[in-house]
Amino acid sequence: MAEFSPTILAFCCNWCSYAGADLAGVSRLQMPPNIHIIRVMCSASVKPEYVLKAISGGVDGVLVLGCHIGDCHYMTGNHRTAKRMPLVQKVLKEVGIDEKRLRLDWVSASEGEKFQKVVTDFVDEVKQLGPNPMRGVKW
Amino acid sequence: MARVGVFVCHCGLNIASTVDIEKVVAYARGLPDVVVAEHNLYSCSEEGLSSIRKSIEKNKLDRVVVAACTPRTHEPLFRKTCELAGVNKYLFEFVNIREHCAWIHIKEPLSATDKAEKLIAMGVAKARLLEPQKETESSVIPTAVVIGGGLTGLTAAASLAAQGIDTHLIEREEKLGGVLGDVEVISPEFSKSGDLIGQLVKELKGSRHAKVHLGAKVVAVSGFIGNFEVTVEGKGKQEKIPAGAIILATGAQEFMPKGEYGFKEMPEVVTQLELERRLASGNVPRRAVFIQCVGSRQPGREYCSRICCNASLKNALRIVRTRPDSRVSIIHRDIMSYGTASERLYREASDRGVVFLRYGLERIPKVVRKKDGVVVEVYDETIDEMVDLDTDLVVLATPMVSREDARDLGKLLKVPLDKYGFFLEAHVKLRPVEFATDGVFIAGSARWPSSVTECMGQGLAAAAKASIPIRRGKVVVEAITASADPDRCAACGNCVIACPYEAIEIVEEHGKRYAKVNETKCKGCGTCVAACPNDAMQQRGFTSQQLSSMIDALIKSTEEET
Amino acid sequence: MVNDLGRKLAKLAFEERGADMLLVMREEHGNVVPAMVPKGEDLGDVRLDIPYQLITILENIYPWVSKGRIAIITRRCDEKALAELVKRKYVDDKRIVRIGLACSEDQIRRCRCEDPVPSKVDLGEPHAAAKGDELISRLEKMSQQERLEFWAGQFKKCNKCFGCTLNCPVCFCDDDCVLEDRTFVAEPSVPPGLSFHMIRSYHMIDKCIECGECERSCPAEIPLLTMRKLLAKDMKELFKFRPGDEKTVSPLNTTLEGEQLEDGCDEC
Ligand SMILES: Cc1cc2nc3c(=O)[nH]c(=O)nc-3n(C[C@H](O)[C@H](O)[C@H](O)COP(=O)(O)OP(=O)(O)OC[C@H]3O[C@@H](n4cnc5c(N)ncnc54)[C@H](O)[C@@H]3O)c2cc1C
Ligand code: SF4
Ligand code: SF4
Ligand code: FES
Repeated sequence: MAEFSPTILAFCCNWCSYAGADLAGVSRLQMPPNIHIIRVMCSASVKPEYVLKAISGGVDGVLVLGCHIGDCHYMTGNHRTAKRMPLVQKVLKEVGIDEKRLRLDWVSASEGEKFQKVVTDFVDEVKQLGPNPMRGVKW
Repeated sequence: MARVGVFVCHCGLNIASTVDIEKVVAYARGLPDVVVAEHNLYSCSEEGLSSIRKSIEKNKLDRVVVAACTPRTHEPLFRKTCELAGVNKYLFEFVNIREHCAWIHIKEPLSATDKAEKLIAMGVAKARLLEPQKETESSVIPTAVVIGGGLTGLTAAASLAAQGIDTHLIEREEKLGGVLGDVEVISPEFSKSGDLIGQLVKELKGSRHAKVHLGAKVVAVSGFIGNFEVTVEGKGKQEKIPAGAIILATGAQEFMPKGEYGFKEMPEVVTQLELERRLASGNVPRRAVFIQCVGSRQPGREYCSRICCNASLKNALRIVRTRPDSRVSIIHRDIMSYGTASERLYREASDRGVVFLRYGLERIPKVVRKKDGVVVEVYDETIDEMVDLDTDLVVLATPMVSREDARDLGKLLKVPLDKYGFFLEAHVKLRPVEFATDGVFIAGSARWPSSVTECMGQGLAAAAKASIPIRRGKVVVEAITASADPDRCAACGNCVIACPYEAIEIVEEHGKRYAKVNETKCKGCGTCVAACPNDAMQQRGFTSQQLSSMIDALIKSTEEET
Repeated sequence: MVNDLGRKLAKLAFEERGADMLLVMREEHGNVVPAMVPKGEDLGDVRLDIPYQLITILENIYPWVSKGRIAIITRRCDEKALAELVKRKYVDDKRIVRIGLACSEDQIRRCRCEDPVPSKVDLGEPHAAAKGDELISRLEKMSQQERLEFWAGQFKKCNKCFGCTLNCPVCFCDDDCVLEDRTFVAEPSVPPGLSFHMIRSYHMIDKCIECGECERSCPAEIPLLTMRKLLAKDMKELFKFRPGDEKTVSPLNTTLEGEQLEDGCDEC
C-alpha cells in the first residue's frame, strides 16, 4: 500500500505567514506537497467554523499561521486567534478527534526556514496520526 | 452563473519545469463554471497580459483566475488587466503555484502537479462567488514626515521640500547628520562629509517647506496612507503632525564588541568610528592593524555589513598618505570593496604597502600586550604561518547593527523587521524602499548597512515614492472591509469587543438592534468575522461562503483522487 | 384558581419587590406552559417542578414588553443565563425582579449540577451539588477512537429539530442559525454530521451555563449536557473563565493583556 499522504489545509495571514511562505518558495526550500494555503488578511479572520468544517469533512489536518504575537498587522488580531484555536482543539479532543490535527503557529515574513520547518513537522505529525477518522465514518 | 477563465503561467521554466502545465490546464477546463482555460509562457509579460485581456473579451468572462506566482507582488498587475478588459478588479483571484508549489516541490513533479490542480480548484471555487467591489477614494494630507536626520533622512527631506511638499524632519539628537557626524572623510572620493551635510542642512533651513524637529521623538503613529497622524514629543512638548506619507530613515549603529580582542581593556584597541574621530582631530597613528569582520559573518550575525571594508581601506590610505613612515595591515576574511572606485582604493593601498592578511573563523587573530606596545598574532592562511604584527593601534572593523529601539519604532508604524532588526521592505526587486504598509517608506542604513551613495540614492527614491500620493492628492482605499447583515445580526456584541480598531457599534433602527461597521475606521482584518457566531459579519473579498467553498473544493478534489 | 404557591409568589413579586408582571410556568388544560401574568391578575395553577428555561422566553418576548418590571423565577442556572443576557444588553437589569428558587435534590441529580444554589433563596430548600457526571468518568476512560465512536453514534441520532438551539437561553441568533445553512455544515441534511455539533459546541463554549435545556429538549436523547460540561471544564482550565457572570468578558474576544504565550520571536 502506498504511504498515506495527508491532505492539509493551511490558513496564512497576508502580512506575515503568507509572505514567509513566499520567501520559502523564493529560497527554494523543499517541503512535502500536502499543504494547501488559503490566504486570509489576518489569522484572526479564520473562523473556527472553517477548521471544524474541514476536519469534519475529512481534511487530515489544519494549520493556522499568523504573525508573531506583537507583530500582527492589525495590532492584536492574532491575540484572538491565540485564544480561539486552543478552544477549537478542545472541541476536537472532546468528540474524539486528535487535537494535534489543528496546529497554530507564528511565522514572520522573514522566516522562510521556519515555514519550511513548521510545514514539514506538521505533515510528519499528521502522517503519524494517520488518515482523519472522519473519512471513514459513514454517515 | 459565473463565466470563469483560468490562466496558468509557465513562468518560463520556473513553474513549467515542475508542474505539468498541459495537464493542469485540462483539469481546470473541467471545473464548474470554467469556460476557458489557457496557458501563457509569462502571464505577466506584455504578450501574456494582452492575451489574457483578449480572452476575457472574447469569452465574455466575468471571473478571472490566474495561477502563477504570488499576489503579494503581482496582483495589482492582473487586476489592472481585468479592469482594462471591463471586469471589476475584485473579480480576480490569484492562485500561487510557484512559490507555494513548483519551487518547493522541485523533486516531486507528480505531486506538485496534483497540488497545483487542487489549488486551482480552490481558486476557481472562490472566484465563482466573488463579487464586484467599489473602491472609495480618500484625500491625502499634502505633508510628509521623515524620521531620522542622518544623511538619508536629510536627502529625502531636502528633496521633498525642493518639490514644494511640506516636510517635517524628526531627529531625536540635538544635531543633524547621524553617523556622518563622526565620519569626516567619505570614501571612495575622500570628499568631506561636512560639505555634504552642510549643504543639505542649508537647503532645509532655507526652505519654507521644511521644518526640522531636533531632540524630538516619535511616540505614536495612527491612520493610514494619506491620513496619518504622527505624534512627536520633545522638549516637554507634544505635537501631532498630520501627514500623507512617512519615510523611515533611522539608520543603524556601530556594533560594540564585548570583551573581544582586548577591547575596553587595552587603550590601543578601538573601533572604526573611534579611529574616524581621532583622524578627524589630526591624531594619526604610525602603526595600525585593522581587524575586519569583528562581530559579523559568524553564527548569530551572519551578514556582511558591506561598508566596513571600504571604511578600513579609506582610513588605511588616510594614514599611509599622511605618514610615509607608517606601517598598516588589514587582517580580513574577504575584502568587500565593491564597485570600481572602491576597487581602486584597494589597489592603491596595496601599492602603498598596506599588508593584507587573510584569516579564517577557525583561527581568529589574538591581540596580546607586550612590553613595548601591542602585538596582533595572526595565522596567515596564504603562507600557512603565524605572523606577529607590532602596532600602536588595533582597529576593530565592526558591522553596523540595527538601532536598539528599531523594534519599538516598527511597532508604532506597524512595519516588519528582519531577523537582524533591520527594516524589511515589501520586495527588494519589485517594491524597493516601500513597506508592505501603504504610505510608509524605508531608506538608508535602517534598511541595511549602506554606503553614502546608496543612502542618498535610497533617500531620493523614497522621497520620489512618497511624493506620488501627495501629488495625486487622493488615494484609493482598499475595499476589503467588513460589514454586517442587519437581518442576520443578533446584536450579541461579540464583534464590537473583538475589533482592534473600535470600528463597530450596535445601532438601533426601527426597533431592530444590529452591528454597524464604520468603514473608514475598519482596516479589514476580519477579526470580527471570526467572532460572529451567526455569520452575519462578512469581510468583502473573503466571505465565509467564498472560503468555505475553497474548503469544499479541497475536500472534493481529495475524494476524487482516492 | 390560584394555588398556595401562587399566593406566595404574588406577594413576593408584586407586593414586596414591586414587579409589574410575573413570568411563570403554569398548568392550563392539562399542559404546563409559560405565562406572563400582569399584576393583579389570577396567577392560576403555578408549577415550579417543571425545569423549563424561562430565560429563553424572556429573551424572546422582551422586545415586545416595552414597560414595567418583570419578575422571574431564577434557579442558579437562570441567574447565570440572565447575566449573559444583561451583559449583551438584551435586557435591562433594572427591569428584572429575581425570585430565587433552590432546586430539588432530584433535579440536581438529573442535571448533574455542580452549582445549584441561587444567590438568594426565596423558594425551596438549598441542597448540595451533585457528585459529578457519570458519563464524563466513562468518557475519560475511553480511548480516542472509542470516544469518537461514542459521539458519532450519538450524533447520528440527531434529526436536526433545532430543539437544542431554540430552547437554549444563551443561544442568541434566533432567526437564522448558521447551522441551518450549508456554509459550514456541508454534510447531507439528516443526520447533520459532526460539523453541526462541533460548531454548536464551539459557539456555546463561552456562554453555556449548564442548565441542561438542550439535553432535555433533544428528542434523540443525545447527552448534550455532558458535552457542554466537558468543554466548560476545558474553558476553565485554559482561561479560568466561567460564563454566567455579568462582569466578565469572554476570553475569546479580548487581547492577551500581558499573558505570555511564547517567549517572543527571537529572530524578529
Ligand atoms: C565608521 C564608519 C565609516 C563609514 N565610512 C563611510 C565611507 O567612507 N563612505 C561611505 O560611503 N559610507 C561610509 N559609512 C557608511 C555611512 O556613513 C552610513 O551608512 C550613512 O551615513 C547612514 O546614513 P543614515 O541616514 O541612513 O543613518 P544614520 O547616519 O544612522 O542616521 C540616522 C539618524 O536617525 C536618528 N534616529 C534614530 N532613531 C530615531 C528615532 N526613533 N527618532 C528620531 N530620530 C532617530 C539618529 O539619531 C540619526 O541621526 C561609514 C559608516 C561608519 C559607521
Ligand atoms: S474587519 Fe477588523 S477592523 Fe474591520 S470592523 Fe472587523 S474587526 Fe474591526
Ligand atoms: S458578532 Fe455577529 S451577531 Fe454578534 S453583533 Fe456582531 S454581527 Fe451581530
Ligand atoms: S496580520 Fe498576521 S496574524 Fe494578524
